[in-house]
Amino acid sequence: MSVEVEVDENDLAEMVEQVWESYLDPEGVSPLMQTYDENQPSEVHSSVSITGSWNGHVVYASSRAAAQRAAAAFLAMELDEVSEEDISDTLGELANIVGGNVKAMLPPGAQLSLPQVVLAPEASARFPNTERISGVYGLWEGEPVSISMWQSSTDTKEEGA
Amino acid sequence: MRAMVIDDSRAMRMILKRIVTKLNFEAVEAGDGKEALDLLADMTEVPEVALIDWNMPNMNGLEFVTKVRADPRLREMTLVMVTTESEQSQIVRALAAGAHEYVIKPFTEGAMIEKLALLGLVPTGANS
Repeated sequence: MSVEVEVDENDLAEMVEQVWESYLDPEGVSPLMQTYDENQPSEVHSSVSITGSWNGHVVYASSRAAAQRAAAAFLAMELDEVSEEDISDTLGELANIVGGNVKAMLPPGAQLSLPQVVLAPEASARFPNTERISGVYGLWEGEPVSISMWQSSTDTKEEGA
Repeated sequence: MRAMVIDDSRAMRMILKRIVTKLNFEAVEAGDGKEALDLLADMTEVPEVALIDWNMPNMNGLEFVTKVRADPRLREMTLVMVTTESEQSQIVRALAAGAHEYVIKPFTEGAMIEKLALLGLVPTGANS
């Protein structure tokens, strides 16, 4: 099915700001500083798939240090208390929250998957037949964090047809 | 008072548990709707409120709300959907199924407390 994607970088940036305000930086002292560098490295990532009126993935990727910090903020723990499971759980929920909000901006008829978490670089788990169409890329206290949207190439081809 | 937190994300359960504990609720956790129903079946005292995620494995939040509404023993429990499902059509579905209120993720602690105050579960101004 072919739809026009109505979620741009500004929309993603707004969602990211809400996530930071709600969970990662409620005091407003360490926001995500955008670098606009879509090639910045990642060490861990989580994703949710959206199917239906739009087909693709929303991916949250970061360094391990940023993931550890996110888990500590999310779970109100000290950094050295954070376990692998805490990181995995937090990354999954971050992808779920951003993905759910992206879905809400798409035409009706989209469905959200449960999150997948891979504690390996985004590049090590490619999404076949997809094209990156939007993203927010930044540094959080010096550590890389990105949120990107990957559209199924079937949709992309139909749109171009 | 007792609150049930139903979410497959342990991280989100911890956030919600932290908020309700601060409001003097005793928190009970469940990882999905099925686990929540099993826990409720064993409880002699039904929680005052359940905070329910929508997307969960085994039994999702909407199915849970429907089951609770069909059980007279659970009639007094206030049901709040806490979810990323923010489309108007989804909100209408949840409310039609019997949910009392809706909180969209991401939410701040203040927003959640205000919602619970609106439902009469905590005093107005508990946020300040």
